[in-house]
Amino acid sequence: MNERRKHLEFLRKTAREAIWAGDYERALTLYDDGLSLARSWKDRDLEDLFTCNRATTLIELDRQDFDLSRLKEILLHSPSSYTGALASYVAANAHEARGEYGRARFYAQTALSKSRELGHEELTGTSLNLLANLELHESRFEAARDLFQEAVERLESEGESLSRHAAVATDNLGYCHIALDRMELGLPLVHRSLSVLDSLGARQAMDYPMLDLCFASVKMSLLDEAESWGIRALGLGKEFGREDVVKNAHYLLAEAYSEMGRDSKADEQYEALAVYYPDFPALKHYLRQISLMEVINLRA
Amino acid sequence: MSSHTPRKVYLVGSRIRELRKGRRLTQTELSDKIGIAQSDLSRMEQGEYKVGLDTLFKVLQVFDLKMGEFFGETESPDAAETRKLISNFQELSSDAQREVRDFVRFKKLQKQEPNPASGSPAVPNEEETS
Repeated sequence: MNERRKHLEFLRKTAREAIWAGDYERALTLYDDGLSLARSWKDRDLEDLFTCNRATTLIELDRQDFDLSRLKEILLHSPSSYTGALASYVAANAHEARGEYGRARFYAQTALSKSRELGHEELTGTSLNLLANLELHESRFEAARDLFQEAVERLESEGESLSRHAAVATDNLGYCHIALDRMELGLPLVHRSLSVLDSLGARQAMDYPMLDLCFASVKMSLLDEAESWGIRALGLGKEFGREDVVKNAHYLLAEAYSEMGRDSKADEQYEALAVYYPDFPALKHYLRQISLMEVINLRA
Repeated sequence: MSSHTPRKVYLVGSRIRELRKGRRLTQTELSDKIGIAQSDLSRMEQGEYKVGLDTLFKVLQVFDLKMGEFFGETESPDAAETRKLISNFQELSSDAQREVRDFVRFKKLQKQEPNPASGSPAVPNEEETS
């Protein structure tokens, strides 16, 4: 590997660590720098790679200000390479973020088949994780569970350096079990995931495991635990600007407080949740008396 | 300080189906309003399809229900009036409640009076019943 490539690989590695630590802006700056350098050096492969990485970061930031068709160009002109498979994977994520699940599924399947052909375990695992998430979106918990299971196996086979991805897939698998009322299977997985993410300093990825533990605790009427996990999930959701986490955390905390009989605390959570639904002024009054726990999907 | 209201019900798929039928909506019409596929709504009504908060609140908004309707209290207007009267009664002071009970007793006696020609019992004036 020449010095230029080494430098750009270092930028990618540093940016990736910034993402796991939740510092997306720093990651974006690093990817922008790398992209400029790759262009100036006319290194097409690395330019494509940084284009994919940059788009991934923007998706994480809930931004769509990148050229999706550029990703598809990369897939078309490098169909048999890792970069082509990655471009397909990122395109799938972009479509998922836009709510275009059919297209997301197509590109995720493409990424999966290409990464399998290449024998790239990490991309195979993350593609499986994405496909499973798409199944979860449509409430197919059993199908999602099986895909997450395979994703975890693939990612764990890659060893320590990839355990962050494995931890995320493990949490997702745990959530599936919890949603299917298999707490004895789901809870250890979510706790394991949280422990790994914590040890790696990947705070940004700890919000969903905490939310999942809150959800399980409400289901099991372990209300003090639910409160503790819910508050922590809410804090992370606010810190990293994750609206989905914040809304779900407000709802689950309200459920917990309501079941505890702490109505004023529950009302605070309902009111915080109602801010996101200004067209539904009766929200608080409904939720005071109706539980949505039987029909809610935290990943939808 | 608020008093704790016990939770009454879980929102489940079967209830969504009842509410939809009560509104005379087809699955296609409701799924269009909520923004999900008809097949997904069908699975939702069977309890197989779980959704996020955004969709759930859309469901509740589409039905635009009174709370009693949601809980399946398919009460007639008379029953609703009765429930309202009971609620109003419970809010009265104990003295006022006693007066209402007396008045109800009086009205029942009045109803049992076999012969109107013998004269109706005196109707208490407004002052006495308020």
